[in-house]
Amino acid sequence: MNMEKGSSVRQKQIFYVFVLFFLLCAIAITAVYSVSIGQVSIPFQQSMQIVLHTITNGHLGSLDQVESDSYTNIIMQVRMPRVVFALLIGMGLSLCGVVMQAIVQNPLADPYILGISSGGSLGATFAILVGFGSGTVLAQFGVAFGAFAGAMATSILVLVLSSIGGKVTSIKLVLSGVVIGALCSSLSSLVIFFANDAEGIKSVTFWTMGSLASSSWSKVPIMAIVVLAGCFLFLFQHRVLNTMLLGDESAITLGINLSVFRKLYMIIAALITGTMVAYSGMIGFVGLIIPHICRGLFGSDHKRLMPASLLFGGLFLMWADVLSRVLVANVELPIGILTSVIGCPLFIYMIVKKGYNFGG
Amino acid sequence: MQLIVESLETKLGKKEIVKNISLLVENQKFVGVVGPNGCGKSTMLKSIYKSLPTHKGTVVLGDMDVLKTSQKKISQKLGVVGQFNEMYFDLTVEQMVLLGRTPHKKLLEVDNQADIDIVENALKQTNLLDYKDRSYLSLSGGEKQRTILARTIAQQPQFMILDEPTNHLDIRYQLEILQCVKKLNIGILAALHDLETAAQYCDYLYAMKDGRIYTSGTPEEVLTPETISELYQIKCETYKNPITNQLGFVYQI
Repeated sequence: MNMEKGSSVRQKQIFYVFVLFFLLCAIAITAVYSVSIGQVSIPFQQSMQIVLHTITNGHLGSLDQVESDSYTNIIMQVRMPRVVFALLIGMGLSLCGVVMQAIVQNPLADPYILGISSGGSLGATFAILVGFGSGTVLAQFGVAFGAFAGAMATSILVLVLSSIGGKVTSIKLVLSGVVIGALCSSLSSLVIFFANDAEGIKSVTFWTMGSLASSSWSKVPIMAIVVLAGCFLFLFQHRVLNTMLLGDESAITLGINLSVFRKLYMIIAALITGTMVAYSGMIGFVGLIIPHICRGLFGSDHKRLMPASLLFGGLFLMWADVLSRVLVANVELPIGILTSVIGCPLFIYMIVKKGYNFGG
Repeated sequence: MQLIVESLETKLGKKEIVKNISLLVENQKFVGVVGPNGCGKSTMLKSIYKSLPTHKGTVVLGDMDVLKTSQKKISQKLGVVGQFNEMYFDLTVEQMVLLGRTPHKKLLEVDNQADIDIVENALKQTNLLDYKDRSYLSLSGGEKQRTILARTIAQQPQFMILDEPTNHLDIRYQLEILQCVKKLNIGILAALHDLETAAQYCDYLYAMKDGRIYTSGTPEEVLTPETISELYQIKCETYKNPITNQLGFVYQI
């Protein structure tokens, strides 16, 4: 009896490691596939040779069979940054999703729950329709700056509002987020109402649907540092994150003051989300759904949940990006649409097939 | 390890809930706190384990001044089994009990074989070995409470505070929990609502009313018809149960 149980635990562990390995391989293959499609279609074989050759600095792979010299340029300079962006943002979104759900102890939370989405939107709307005035330093950063500033300002406001009267509790956080979010949304509507700028309003709409089109190598370092540092940090926070699930009362008796950790984690998550929102707009659903899918597969223990969510989130957004480019010929769909369209059926499948009951 | 509480006062908002309470739990004694709902039992216990801020007084556990010590240090010595709380995310029983090791771990430290053994042992003491891989949320009330007790045992505390640990539980589970706690042989301070169990398990009793200690002593000294009538505003007779030789109670309004 005991031996059987031992082996079932071991089987689960082997399954988990296998899934992580599979996700890593899938990410690598998807990356190569993703860079080979586009206006100029480059055969998969050649893409692989080019990527291998460039990454290993010529030690592996050869460029002998590559048909055109411009291929290397297209892949490494034009398409690769976008793939890296998709991976990083996918990881970042699911990371913040897992963390936010733990912070507010609510399965409905996503990275944008603290009013970050409406704050970011307000900032971006302001930047697009009103602008910071030409010639100022702010004008150079434009929409990205507006979005980041808006996102950070709202999350700080939410944090301050929920700290009133002592402890930061999950209910106060959610309510403050909703209230500040509503305020920002109506301010955005006000700006749009008074703006006499059809073109601008269209860009605002596009912005709220998310896009990876602005990716470039020059933006990758900031994104990579912020997201990877966040991932690294939270990979080792599983003990506190698990304790968060128990609630304030139990956490205190285990020596952990949740109020402090909530604030700290929220600031870090807001920074990551703000940076992502600045560069890629609002990409919904990933941060909500990926953590739930991974919980359904591996349970709520953050030690397992975190690595799986990171990899799965990255892979998911890479595929959403691929589909956004190939589904309609010569048109690039906003990626935010795709994430919901692929995400929903996946989630429904989880509920129906696995009997998953939303973490509870 | 002994617990000394002196002139403890706690306010919730502006209202004084705990008024100048002093009590003593001697090493390895099982001490109970009885009193009607709203008399301040829970608030007092929460003040002792620092879940609520205290207004005045001192709490000393062994040689540690609890009110001036960090939460982590306290939790290495003091375990708490609280009343039920809601959870929206699921963990397995084993993962839940493993969280009891948290106070003894540095922030980045991982669980080792010693921790697994301690958890295994705690599960054994609470009769939960077969439930190891079960999901916590699928358990019955009694099983949940035993899991929380197992988690507190895995904490390896030298003193334990229990806040109505047997609330909502059927008789068998009540007895199992208290039996298990008694066997730990550490100092216990427990709020209890059932007078018969209090009489049966406690070495010493404090009776609370309106935020103050009304009286204290051995169960026989405290649980007299007069005191019980005064505490709970009922008519009460006590008798010696001929089968168990324990104190028995008959109540009437």
